[in-house]
Amino acid sequence: MRGARRRLTPYLLLLPGTGWLLLFFAVPMAFMLVMSLQEGSLSEGYRLTWNFGIYPKVIGEYGNLILRSVGYALSTTVLTLAIGYPMAYTIAFYGGRLKNALVLVVIMPFFVSFVIRTLNWRMILSDNGLLFGTLKDMGLLDHAFRFLATPASVIFGLTYNFLPFMILPLYVALEKVDRRTIEAATDLYANKVQAFWRVTFPLSLPGVVAGSLLTFIPAVGDFINADIIGARSPDVAMVGNVIQRLFLSVNDFPAAAALGFVLVAGTMLLVGIYTRIVGTDRLTA
Amino acid sequence: MSDHDERSQIERAVERLMHGEPISRRSFLRRTGRGGLALGAAMTLPAILAACGPGKTKLEWANWPLYIDVDDAGKHPTIEAFTKKTGIAVHYVEAINDNEEFFGTIQPDLAAGNVTEWDVISPTSWMVRRMASQGYLEEIDHSKLPNWTANAADYAKGLWFDPDNKYSVWWQGGITGIGYDPNLTGREITSFDDLLDPAFKGRVGGFSDMRDMMCLSLLSLGIKPADATLDDAKRAQQKLLKAAQAGQFRGFYGNEYYDSLSNGDLVASVAWSGDITQMQLYDNPKVKFVIPSGGAPRWNDNLCIPKKAVWNEQAHKLMDYWYDPVPATTLSEYIGYWTPTKGVPERIKADADAARAAGDTKTADLDDVLSKAVAPTAEQLANVFDYPELADAAEEKAWNDLFLAVTTANG
Repeated sequence: MRGARRRLTPYLLLLPGTGWLLLFFAVPMAFMLVMSLQEGSLSEGYRLTWNFGIYPKVIGEYGNLILRSVGYALSTTVLTLAIGYPMAYTIAFYGGRLKNALVLVVIMPFFVSFVIRTLNWRMILSDNGLLFGTLKDMGLLDHAFRFLATPASVIFGLTYNFLPFMILPLYVALEKVDRRTIEAATDLYANKVQAFWRVTFPLSLPGVVAGSLLTFIPAVGDFINADIIGARSPDVAMVGNVIQRLFLSVNDFPAAAALGFVLVAGTMLLVGIYTRIVGTDRLTA
Repeated sequence: MSDHDERSQIERAVERLMHGEPISRRSFLRRTGRGGLALGAAMTLPAILAACGPGKTKLEWANWPLYIDVDDAGKHPTIEAFTKKTGIAVHYVEAINDNEEFFGTIQPDLAAGNVTEWDVISPTSWMVRRMASQGYLEEIDHSKLPNWTANAADYAKGLWFDPDNKYSVWWQGGITGIGYDPNLTGREITSFDDLLDPAFKGRVGGFSDMRDMMCLSLLSLGIKPADATLDDAKRAQQKLLKAAQAGQFRGFYGNEYYDSLSNGDLVASVAWSGDITQMQLYDNPKVKFVIPSGGAPRWNDNLCIPKKAVWNEQAHKLMDYWYDPVPATTLSEYIGYWTPTKGVPERIKADADAARAAGDTKTADLDDVLSKAVAPTAEQLANVFDYPELADAAEEKAWNDLFLAVTTANG
């Protein structure tokens, strides 16, 4: 009896998580897949016609927007890494007693809703707002200058919103780096720069990988930043905006579901290539 | 979508605080109320339970945000007066932010022949037509609407989407035209083509609403939206798409265009007439409203009874109530759209005169402006046009697809 129970234990432990995922992830995904293969309209009803043609159709129509979204998300990932790494490094290595307080400061923005924070940026960055209005009044900026509703502004918004997702895993990875390995490197005549690139940075790679994934994946499907900071400008429409509009304004559920699936598949492919190059074991190291 | 609404609500409050402007309670509520609690409120347990029949104690009314009078206590005086008069309690919910979205929430129940949670809903003209054609609306018994029979204005009845008012009566209406600040444009704007002038590249706003935008473009090409074929629609779309791809539009806005136009981020924008009246009164007196020379679409929202609504009798009473000039005047003094009720402009004018006599010039000035804004002039009526009918779902989708390409500059 005891043996049987022991064999069952891992499965029992897996049960809540598996059930949760089945109910809230697998079932909706299956529903969406079926939805994407239907034809019809909201008012006349949808029929399943196994319309696989929808996939090449949405890729042809919105492929450029998917590429744009990937471009924005990549820029965001690189920027958050460039900004977040020095910050995480400083907190982990020089934070001292303030470490916890500094980490708290990093996650502080999460205490306020995503949408409200983004909105505040829109006000601060508006053409004649707090920042640019002042600069224009001082004659430091041309009056025609604008930042909102440009690609740069959307990437800025994404970077701002996803920065903590990059910093936290970086911090955890850097915090775990055994200081004696760096000491050993310097003992072996490595200078500080060499010690960083050959010891500290490789040891922090799990954080880099985790941070990149946590930033890139949500950023590529984001639509709030293009909507609010991008002011729904056609120049900055991302694939998330199209999916949202297909669902809510056009009521073309099959096309929206298909485009959603293309996005999921594309993201998985890119993430697969990335982890292939860097190695998934980094995630668990 | 509810994000947008939440946003505009909070945004306006924060923006005003940041500018350090004093906020009068009335203007604060006007401005911030537009966002509303929308979907969240519609999904509350009491709302759902209340729809379950025997235990029903209130009439459930789904309306758009910022579409009713609000007093300092956050209550709706006209609705309270209705309850006092008839004994019918009303649960007023700002549940509609988008016709399609709201339709999506009730369509499954209606299609299955179930009772929805609502007794009265407020869809826009074209949505009335769609719902009526699908058998989703109860027929109205006009013998129960004496005020409507006596007081409905001519412009507010017998319209294309419901020629005999079999399923709907007007709630409020207006025009979609162009709002602009002449100081920023440097000249007067008189046509839709002026809005597309490359001189204003990146500084004009469009709407995310397909019908409004396509109608303005069609009218600028000399085509009446009601007569437009799909080929006409494509021509109208090409005009918009070309402008969008050239970067003419800063964005395609919903309600939040109001702030951008008011603070000068936009020099001109597609705009709703009632909004610009409010903007002139409360936020930016420099902004003007114009019906473009080719004409502009008119729109109106309606009161309808969804199929199998539990409180049909009470719903009729509520519909008729708004055609009593007394509550209709209170309502119009608050929201400033086109009223369907005869006698309202005259009553507002009388209130203005009374306020002036009592030394309250501020209210008097306000009411003077409103008395002219709450009913269309003959000149306005000659220049406004109905939305296209879009007979079936396939045609509607074709138009929506055309317009989606515009908002993503993806042609």
